[in-house]
Amino acid sequence: MKNKDFGALVIVPVLSIIVSFLIGCIIIAALGASPADAMRYLWKGAFGNVRNLGTTFSRSTPLIFTTLCACFAYRCGVFNLGGEGQFIIGSILACYIATKSPLTGVPAILLCAVAGAAGGGLWAAIAGLLKVYRGQNEMIITIMLNYVATLLMGVVYTNWLRDGSVPQTVAVPDQTRLPSFLGLRATIAFPVAIIAGIVIFYFLFYTSPGFQLRAVGLNMTAAKVNGFNVKRYLLMSFVVSGAIAGLGGALELLGTQLRLINGFGAGYGFDGVAMALIASLHPLAGILVAIFFAALRVGSTTMQTATGVPTSVSDIIQALVIVFTVAGMAMVKLPEFKSRFARKARMEA
Amino acid sequence: MGSFMANLILASVRMASPLIFLSLAELYSQRAGLVNIGIEGIAAIGSLTGFLISLITGNPFLGVLAGALAGIAVNMIFAYATISLCAEQIVYGMAINIFAPALAAFIYRVYFGSGSELVQAGLMGTLKSMLGIKSNNFLVNLFLDQTPMVYLAYILIILTAIYFTRTKSGLNYKAVGEYPKAAATLGINVIGIKYLSCVICGALAGIGGAYLTTCYSKTYVDGNVAGRGFIALAAVIFGRWSSAGVLIACLFFGFCDALQIRLQLVNNTLPYQFFQMIPYVATIVVLALIGAKKAGPKSSGQPYRKEER
Amino acid sequence: MNRKLIAMVVTGAMIASMAPTFTAHADDTRTVAMICDSSISDGGWGMACYNAMIDAAEKTGWETMYSDSIAQSAYYDTIVSYCDLDVDMIYAPGNQYTDAVLQAAEEYPDIAFALLNGGADTPEKAVNGNVSSLLPNATQIGWIAGALAGLMSESGTIAFIGGMELDTTLAKYAGYGEAAAFVAEENGKTISVLDPVYSGDFSASDKGLEFAKAMMDQGADVFFGDASAVDSGARQAIDEANEANGAIKVYDIAQPADLLGQNDCVIGSQVTDNSVLIELSMKAVEEGTFGGETLYGTLQNGVLSAGELNKDVVPEDVQAKYAEYIQQMVDGTFMGGAAETEAE
Repeated sequence: MKNKDFGALVIVPVLSIIVSFLIGCIIIAALGASPADAMRYLWKGAFGNVRNLGTTFSRSTPLIFTTLCACFAYRCGVFNLGGEGQFIIGSILACYIATKSPLTGVPAILLCAVAGAAGGGLWAAIAGLLKVYRGQNEMIITIMLNYVATLLMGVVYTNWLRDGSVPQTVAVPDQTRLPSFLGLRATIAFPVAIIAGIVIFYFLFYTSPGFQLRAVGLNMTAAKVNGFNVKRYLLMSFVVSGAIAGLGGALELLGTQLRLINGFGAGYGFDGVAMALIASLHPLAGILVAIFFAALRVGSTTMQTATGVPTSVSDIIQALVIVFTVAGMAMVKLPEFKSRFARKARMEA
Repeated sequence: MGSFMANLILASVRMASPLIFLSLAELYSQRAGLVNIGIEGIAAIGSLTGFLISLITGNPFLGVLAGALAGIAVNMIFAYATISLCAEQIVYGMAINIFAPALAAFIYRVYFGSGSELVQAGLMGTLKSMLGIKSNNFLVNLFLDQTPMVYLAYILIILTAIYFTRTKSGLNYKAVGEYPKAAATLGINVIGIKYLSCVICGALAGIGGAYLTTCYSKTYVDGNVAGRGFIALAAVIFGRWSSAGVLIACLFFGFCDALQIRLQLVNNTLPYQFFQMIPYVATIVVLALIGAKKAGPKSSGQPYRKEER
Repeated sequence: MNRKLIAMVVTGAMIASMAPTFTAHADDTRTVAMICDSSISDGGWGMACYNAMIDAAEKTGWETMYSDSIAQSAYYDTIVSYCDLDVDMIYAPGNQYTDAVLQAAEEYPDIAFALLNGGADTPEKAVNGNVSSLLPNATQIGWIAGALAGLMSESGTIAFIGGMELDTTLAKYAGYGEAAAFVAEENGKTISVLDPVYSGDFSASDKGLEFAKAMMDQGADVFFGDASAVDSGARQAIDEANEANGAIKVYDIAQPADLLGQNDCVIGSQVTDNSVLIELSMKAVEEGTFGGETLYGTLQNGVLSAGELNKDVVPEDVQAKYAEYIQQMVDGTFMGGAAETEAE
């Protein structure tokens, strides 16, 4: 049973990817370009040389954080669609500390990371409190908070921390920037993201609170009956998932972007949700999926510049992967449903 | 000041209109137990299709029709996945939100190639212009200077209210969203109604999107739905799943948006982004204040499986 | 479901076949590549910058490539992938690309980077000296529009819609206001400019529409903007208001290309011909002298100019007066020879 599940969880995404790429190739051919060329440049752009590989890792880092954010929340049955807002709040706090505090170097980096995580966690806690104590729909609240965070960032880069003539914040000072990872373009934020994934994996699957959190996510009523403090777990899942995203925002700022500017963090939250779902909410699989999507994005840039095939083809491929995988996952679960339901009914009885 | 108020009201109505279509789309979906957060994406496709067809045929009404059809087509993906495959609805709505705008952007990009001219399509005329009325009286502008789509929106609000409260078919429809199993034992075709709800939802969301390019703005830009689909989601909850409530919610959001634009003009000391936050913060505050009395359809968001007896 | 999707894709593909085929560039000629975060068909900034590159390339025989609508996180990646294709020059129209350009310029010392609207101090920040700033004079841009606004406004209230709070935008707004006030006073009128509003982006045409309606409610009858697609929304609102009044009473001054005729309300345009600056950069590349300098675009060197006036709306005496003011600006005697502030 377990093995069969596992097989489906790997086979479905892989098949979806193949089908999506085939469709992508048809589109490319219809555009009058050579699919083989396009695919070659796609590959070359993402993995073709050491620098491109570094770029892929670098682009995947924020995605890994938002993917983990979504994984964690959904494991507890919480639809946190606010990864983007939490990511941005984390980066805003990090930006303040990096540019305004007297600290530099490692202490500043550590403080930025802690503050970013705290900021993201608190931002998510707004939605968490409203859900737990006012019974509000967390999806809407988190989406609205995304808009508010983006606009707040706008105030920061056009007013409060503006860098002279340009609507962007001053850059993070050299000493406070994250060191490069193995000399690649990626910074140590990349291994940190992977370690975060491993920690979350361990927490969810090998600790008692992690088990209880998942139990709340699987069946809230049953968890309540079993005496779990459901409210506490719900709140915790908001705060921790927000903190993961906030940490990601802080590290993205210190490692790659170095300043807040229009468009920072845009779309990462929803991307994370989609990637978490493709990974079946498994944190380690989520890391792989995030790297895969980053590779598609980095590669598609090269594909467009070299062959003229627009990057929107790659967007379509990415979207198709999501559409097929999610549908496919649901489909493989269908025939098993009866037995599963019977089991659940027995549990509830 | 009188004219300030008058123009504020006109702007509120103008900005509420696309929201009404999108909110009704969500209402019909949720009433059948399907939470569809993908209407943002469906509206994007509707907006592009409406624009293209209106541009090609020169007829905005055909544009709206095409927008509705495109909306239905995209929403059928959602329908099949969530109804027949029992995929998680929120998750699939997300997938649609990523897929549909990407498709819209791609089609626009390919259709117009590397041409760098601004493409503008004609807009639907207002009743006032069709009747040739010249008056600029506030009431004339409020009631007559509207496109036929605006009247359609309000007619749909009334029809929806009647349908859900006064007709047998409407009660059956609601039963699907409340107690699908009980509804099935009463001989109601639960699956059929769920698919029907997706057709209605897709059509209305597509129209809502097409409204933006056939009645509102002459140009299409990627991302022109600009979160209206999500606001509509909030409007349905705010409006407590009733069509009158949804109307009030939409007008409220329209008002917030119209107000923030005017506040930006009057006040120049606060950064403008704070004013742009108003509609979103107002949503959060209002939702927090009204709290959640479980007014929503009880089976909303849950998959329905025939075997589940 | 797969079948349904494939059907959709095929439909897309059929539409696609109408579009021109995409081709990679040949290696024997020089190539310039443009990156842009907005669309090149936005009827504003993106379009003007793209056309400028095409015009310059036609004169110099260069090949062109471009990527538009790229996300902020992909600026650097896109530039670098062009660099890997051995293009000769990267053309980045906007100061938001400064960081990405400087970083890429450091890694690719043999490639020329032309940054439009970059800072005046940006070239000296490039360690390899391979970055040039192309800077149209924002104050003069404001003047060109402001003089016409001052002549044409009857209500005495004029408006400005900005995209983002760039310093160039602020300088345009300031120049617009001072020129309008000066010209109005000389002609026995007083002018006040509404506070600038910002859409926060360059694509939301519906915001432009709502801004323009709200500003017309406040009595504004001449509009100038700096917000690409947002401006086109404003023009639509102005056209609607004029139609309701049965006469063109509210005017719009377009930029940065000559957009006379695009909308009825456009009475004239402030034209920025960046192709001159790009062409200068291309020549410099060919001669091996490129880099490290700031090329200013002014009325004097022909980068800036006033576009055609709408002869049906602008009275003949006003046309003559306007031409006179523009001449004064070229001669440096406008507003009593007020010091030309070099705006970035």
